Amino acid sequence: MIEIEQLRYVRLGTRNLPAAIDFAQRILGLQLIERTEEQATFRSDFRDHTLVYEAGDPATQSIGLEVRTRAALERAVAALAANGITATPGDAAALARRKARDMASFRDHSGNRFELVVRPETSGWRYFPARDAGVTGLAAVALRTTANGDDEALWTTLFNGRVSDWVGDAAFIRFDDAHHRLALHPSARAGVLAIEYAVEGLNQVMQASYFLQSAQVKIVHGPGRRPSSDQIFLTFAGPDDMLFSYVAEGARIADESAHRPRQFPRKRESFCAWGSESTVPEFAVSEN
Amino acid sequence: MIDLQRVCYVRLGTRDLEGATRFATDVLGLEIGEVAKDTVYFKSDEREHTLCYVEGDPRDQAVAFEVGSRAALAAAAGELERLGHAVHAGTAGEAEARKVREFIAFADPSGNRIELVWRPGHSGVRYHGTRDAGITGFSHVGLCTTDAARDEAFWTRVCNARVSDRVGDAPLLRINEVHHSIALFPTDRAGIQHINHQVESADDVMRSYRFLSERQVRIVFGPGRHPSSSAKFLYFEGPDGMVFEYSSGVKMIADELLYRERQLSFDPRGFCEWGAKPDVAEFRN
Repeated sequence: MIEIEQLRYVRLGTRNLPAAIDFAQRILGLQLIERTEEQATFRSDFRDHTLVYEAGDPATQSIGLEVRTRAALERAVAALAANGITATPGDAAALARRKARDMASFRDHSGNRFELVVRPETSGWRYFPARDAGVTGLAAVALRTTANGDDEALWTTLFNGRVSDWVGDAAFIRFDDAHHRLALHPSARAGVLAIEYAVEGLNQVMQASYFLQSAQVKIVHGPGRRPSSDQIFLTFAGPDDMLFSYVAEGARIADESAHRPRQFPRKRESFCAWGSESTVPEFAVSEN
Repeated sequence: MIDLQRVCYVRLGTRDLEGATRFATDVLGLEIGEVAKDTVYFKSDEREHTLCYVEGDPRDQAVAFEVGSRAALAAAAGELERLGHAVHAGTAGEAEARKVREFIAFADPSGNRIELVWRPGHSGVRYHGTRDAGITGFSHVGLCTTDAARDEAFWTRVCNARVSDRVGDAPLLRINEVHHSIALFPTDRAGIQHINHQVESADDVMRSYRFLSERQVRIVFGPGRHPSSSAKFLYFEGPDGMVFEYSSGVKMIADELLYRERQLSFDPRGFCEWGAKPDVAEFRN
């Protein structure tokens, strides 16, 4: 079993890099760290960067997960190969762009692209954004899956992922004491559904809801509270139809032996305990 | 000095007792305590009633405060008469209709009808709302004032109220540890400006926001958070244009010596630190 140490970053392609940079700074509230012709990196916490926009096809998306050593990376590559999944090592240029010492990338059964990285950089300088959104860090990534059971099994058998809860067949998978770092939502296609940033608390989520409305950003779900993770959330649309969420509070699972994954029905109330509705297909539930 | 101990109840006249009752139960989430001829009593906490609707003119509104003893009630009557307020001593029948042992009624300088009551009825049965709004109890009233400085002086000098904060010229007044039990809002009329019930948590405020929105109840302010009392709030409109508020997390002022009132701006930022803008006449310039 391979230990995932941390969720590190999300890389997103975009046709309009300046617009994406504007969104990440002015709306989302991240700090621009480096900008080249090809990519812009953004900081949200102690990590050098947690979001990257690169010039290119918006369908090019990858999620960076940290493994601790080169040996762990090699074991992961072998384990994936044994399960019929080919992992490709990154070249020097790819490593330099990611500020990591080693990496291998692979696709899950749905086609979502992951990058396992060794020794990605931490910043000695704290995060200092232009807008006071109260962001405390990258918290989770919600993914679409077309092979829910198989993708879930990938994280829970080859890797150290544990299912914290299910809502219908959507699985919330944790790697540390946070309720989830990956959420797999059954869908008709693959791809990143939402990138979730933690904020300090309720005040920041609610301030964001008024701020985003005044900035005419489309809010697609919330403000609300997830009965599963107990997180307060607000989900809104960014460039290239990518969703972003602010999340706050939420359950920590400190005692592994005491937690049992719970099955919630696929109902609107299972996604929001405050009663907010969503038109996002993965969260939308036809009441019948 | 009239020693007000806590805010007790609100009495509201209405031309549509049935409609008002439906609002108080199905929307607001109160429990019917008793239905009498022309009057419906509602429970929100451990008290026998904290709101009652009476068949009649919607302009007939009264708010009641509890005093500690019969002697205090008599002394208050004397003090008010000395200051030129006409004091009505409640009859036995009127006291019974208010579920109190004795009371007096008078008008504050703006003309708001105030009742001082002795031994208001406590209920042996706990409150169980019609819907799960998370209400923990009736907590404060906003009162209209035609002269904020004059009325602040009345409540703080003739009575025992202390200013906890001011939003513009509107004083938020405490009579116990709760940040405010009375708030005075400058306007050109007398009357109750809003009625507040506390709910358990911000979750309840937000759940009610969705619940009320879905039922086309007019939300007039919020969800938001007051920089003054730090309470999370939601204001909405009830029968006869009365504004009701749910809030959670009101500040308690335990140490009178350490606390100092603050001046907040009379604009949306002074009323809400989340960015909500009020659609309430008395909260706007």
